[in-house]
Amino acid sequence: MLTLAWIILFLPLLSALGIAFVTHKDQQLSAKVSIGAIGLGFVLTVILFFSHLMGDGAAIEDSITWLQAGALDVGFGVRLDSLSILMLLVVTGVGSLIHWYSQTYMNGDKSYSRYFGSLSLFTFSMLGIVLATDFIQMFIFWELVGVSSYLLIGFWFEKPSAADAAKKAFLSNRMGDFGFILGIIMVWAVAGSLNFDSLKEIFTADPEILGATATVAGLLVFCGAVGKSAQFPLHVWLPDAMEGPTPVSALIHAATMVAAGVYMLCRVYFVFTPDALTIIAWIGGLTALLAALMALQQDDIKRILAYSTLSQLGYMVMAVGVHAPAAAMYHLTTHAFFKALLFLGAGSVIYAVHHKQDIWQMGGLRQKMPTTYWTFLLGTLALCGVFPLSGFFSKDAILASAADTAHGGNGILFGIGVIVAALTTWYMLRLFFITFHGEARTEAAETAKESPSIMTVPLVVLAVASAIAGFLGIEGFASHGLEIEYHGEHTYGLLAMAFSFLAVAVGASVAFALYWKAEADPIQRHLGLFSSILRNRFYIDEIYSFLILITHETLSQISAWLDRWVLTGLVVRGAHGSADLTGRALRMLQSGNIHTYAFLFVIGIAAIMYFVVGRYVL
Amino acid sequence: MSLLSFIIATPLIGALCLLLVPRGYSYLYQIIARGAAGITFLLSLGMFLLYPQMASGPGGFKFYQKTAWVESIGINYQVGVDGINVGLIFMGAAVALAASFACWGINRRERDFYFLFLVMAGGILGAFASLDVFFFYFFHELALVPTFIMIGVWGRGEDRNYATFKITIYLTLGAMLALVGLVALYVQSGAQTFDMIELTQHVKENPIALDQQKMIFPLLLFGFGILVSLWPFHTWAPIGYGAAPTAAAMLHAGVLKKFGLYGLIRLAVPLVPEGIRAWMEVFCFLALGNILYCGWVAMRQKDLNFLIGNSSVAHMGMAFLGIASLSLIGITGAVAIMVAHGLLAALSFGISGYLHHEKGSVEINKLGGLLQKIPFIGVCLIIAMLAGCGVPGFANFAGEVLVLFGAWDSLPWFVVAGAWGALIIGAVYCLRAIRNILHGALAPENESLTDSTGLTGRLPFVVLVVLLVLFGIYPRLLTDRISQSAQPLIEQANETQAQISNPPSTLLGQAGPDAVRIDF
Repeated sequence: MLTLAWIILFLPLLSALGIAFVTHKDQQLSAKVSIGAIGLGFVLTVILFFSHLMGDGAAIEDSITWLQAGALDVGFGVRLDSLSILMLLVVTGVGSLIHWYSQTYMNGDKSYSRYFGSLSLFTFSMLGIVLATDFIQMFIFWELVGVSSYLLIGFWFEKPSAADAAKKAFLSNRMGDFGFILGIIMVWAVAGSLNFDSLKEIFTADPEILGATATVAGLLVFCGAVGKSAQFPLHVWLPDAMEGPTPVSALIHAATMVAAGVYMLCRVYFVFTPDALTIIAWIGGLTALLAALMALQQDDIKRILAYSTLSQLGYMVMAVGVHAPAAAMYHLTTHAFFKALLFLGAGSVIYAVHHKQDIWQMGGLRQKMPTTYWTFLLGTLALCGVFPLSGFFSKDAILASAADTAHGGNGILFGIGVIVAALTTWYMLRLFFITFHGEARTEAAETAKESPSIMTVPLVVLAVASAIAGFLGIEGFASHGLEIEYHGEHTYGLLAMAFSFLAVAVGASVAFALYWKAEADPIQRHLGLFSSILRNRFYIDEIYSFLILITHETLSQISAWLDRWVLTGLVVRGAHGSADLTGRALRMLQSGNIHTYAFLFVIGIAAIMYFVVGRYVL
Repeated sequence: MSLLSFIIATPLIGALCLLLVPRGYSYLYQIIARGAAGITFLLSLGMFLLYPQMASGPGGFKFYQKTAWVESIGINYQVGVDGINVGLIFMGAAVALAASFACWGINRRERDFYFLFLVMAGGILGAFASLDVFFFYFFHELALVPTFIMIGVWGRGEDRNYATFKITIYLTLGAMLALVGLVALYVQSGAQTFDMIELTQHVKENPIALDQQKMIFPLLLFGFGILVSLWPFHTWAPIGYGAAPTAAAMLHAGVLKKFGLYGLIRLAVPLVPEGIRAWMEVFCFLALGNILYCGWVAMRQKDLNFLIGNSSVAHMGMAFLGIASLSLIGITGAVAIMVAHGLLAALSFGISGYLHHEKGSVEINKLGGLLQKIPFIGVCLIIAMLAGCGVPGFANFAGEVLVLFGAWDSLPWFVVAGAWGALIIGAVYCLRAIRNILHGALAPENESLTDSTGLTGRLPFVVLVVLLVLFGIYPRLLTDRISQSAQPLIEQANETQAQISNPPSTLLGQAGPDAVRIDF
């Protein structure tokens, strides 16, 4: 089994290297190599999954020493337990469909081979996080995911906006990683190990081992997830990252990269103290709410989905915070299905209307694109949490855990969760009605055609998965991997379900009233201020630019100024100048004029006479 | 003769051969220079690979050779490698090979240029191989003087003369301070020998008195520190490298600059550890100056050469931090950073030199969109920038991780600042460089740029990138060798602490060995 895991991990790397060095001239072959690598990875993962189910289900791992000095021992390996196998299934499964879909979507791009090479590199990095046995190994792949997403977001690097978005994504992630590495160092300094398994044992044996610094260390580790899973306050990169090709958005901003943060929180759940978890839950809840509000007034189809992703990630992080990591993993899985479906459906729409993304330039696509329409509808309903689609169950699990105040839940967070559910239905149906219903608003929408079958097949597959994933026992499987009891649903399931129904009903009626066959956004017309605050994302980006300007940029300016004028100018040139000046002054003494010499000689003699004799005489 | 002596001698013999080439055969100059660098590289590759199997000589050194020279005051030609310098010498030979293929635009007095180049390469390798303090210093000077001449004669830019002047004064001053420190070591240790092995052994048994240590260490710190561009004595570096011909910048920034760090590790750590402890706060604040201040300065640069120059100064801060930690992990990391940064600096200056040769300037706002036009150089620059901001998969990451982990115990707040510098500030200027130079639209005036082609054109970049990646993927090739040899140095540094009864006091804080902690 472990050999299979090693193969699954390295297949995409081989594919990336093969494309870079061998097949890059042959575009079609490069695509086949990349699709083949992840497809084979998925097949092997399925085999792993079933042998895991047949076996005793215990965690196994295999690792080599990657770096060793003194007390520091960094391993590199693969770890298989229910948690990593679930995530492997998601990454390779959804990833395969997206790779497959890309071969048509990206057709005709001059850097077709580079696209598939980068996708493979990204897949490798993501699988490294999933299979990691060790904190530093996870950090390594964590950074590599950052780099490969940088390459993918900036895929069309000639476009300034894409190049800027790539940079912003990488830097925001780096902010999170800064905390993450410090957290890792703190944990290592006390526990003396980096291996997840031994750390878990150490923490189980002595939960107080980190002492007073435990909460801080946990929150620093959480910083990594804040960056990668785009939680407030580092959420700003994700909407901009929509500059990348749409399948990339589906892959890294729905199914994998952003999910990595949540996966990491589940993987190292044992390091978080109850205080740390409370803060995590609040950050998650806040992100869910803010992002859902921002999504209400976006016009770009991909950006709406991006804010929706932020909001759903907030749900998952909140789930971890209310002591329900299994529910988080559950929602991660179902979300990967329906959000990938929605992004790919959006890609299909964008492809059909010749790369326009403004929903107000669409409309009436229902008859023209039936497959896209029905699958998109299913994805929308799953995201809103309509019974019996998968989103209903996973969201319900989170809400029920949030309501369970005896086990880390919190009434206000539960309330936020319910409000977010209503908002989700609102903005998703807005998107849906404007894009697919009403009249075609532009020429492009008028002449749109259904996308080729290579693109629609993955939509259908994902739609089926989104529909049935609620009945597959994913939460139980995940909680087995987490080795923690799971609770909540039994006590608060009904309560959560009732509120959830209510939320969907409210959201749907608002959306129906406002946007069913609307020609322009009524909110913008009637509530201009509210609308522009939401459109400008609460001005958070602007506030950040200002903060960066008054801190880092100012420090940089001051340093550069000091370097130029004080260190180089005053001190160095000053030292140089004064040496020079002394030299010039001394040169004046040696004029070669015999009279001057004689004069100086006499003065000198007189001075010596004064010091030697004069004191006694005068 | 030991293989190591051949490695040092090959470039010097090549230099002599150059003098014998008659006029009219100028095409031979380049061949001889590249041939000598190539042979040295292959020999040092062999040495690096054979290192684990070889039997240890005196003091744990391998490929050891000792030939008496001036016996009356104990000067011997004595060379050998352990885990610390074996990687440095290999890196130095690789950079020399790459640099010998990066001599674009040298079209006057070629023989003199290649002569000086080979002398510099031989001097560098000799400095890192020497186990005798006299030769250690001599070889360093042998490499340093050609640097000045190369900048003065073949340098570029209007500021060339000022740059030559400045770098000469600074580095000579640094070397002289270090010399005073070395002489003080010779005198105060009472060992009456320049032999590093004997010296270390002698001091191990008879530690240098505390007051003497406190006096000698600053001489070494500032002397060697100036050579490594320790803040605030760093301003020679960006301007000097900006004016230097590409090959000289690659060799100096890549390899020769590491001499100061190497001297601190080889001599200061085992011989005057209490001096380091007493000066630790000063040491660390200066290192922070490199990491933060020079990083901020790098963010503001408008010229690629200055950006690289300042970033290379910033990277040195991490190595200083590793040494200041006086821990096995930290010092292993410092040496790994030295090797990694040597490859990286050579790569960066090679790329910038190529661009300068192609375009006549490397002002960032005159570039832009180059990735479309020159993909090979563009990808190399992306690799250099990513390696520079500590992305895993390149050797620098392993070194930085080791330093951060190693320094945490004694210097937690400096680790926080160091991580900020490495992860955030470094990323800001590296990504800005990529964004402004490679991404975006291609300006019409840059349509005429041509990419590097062919084996000889690409070789310098390929060699350096391959090694950066190799050590990045499997850092144990370096760190296992380093930590094994750093172990006795650290043990000695900690033993002397126990031996000296008088508890050390720090300059800024209260007495006692715990005083190295700083609470903000």
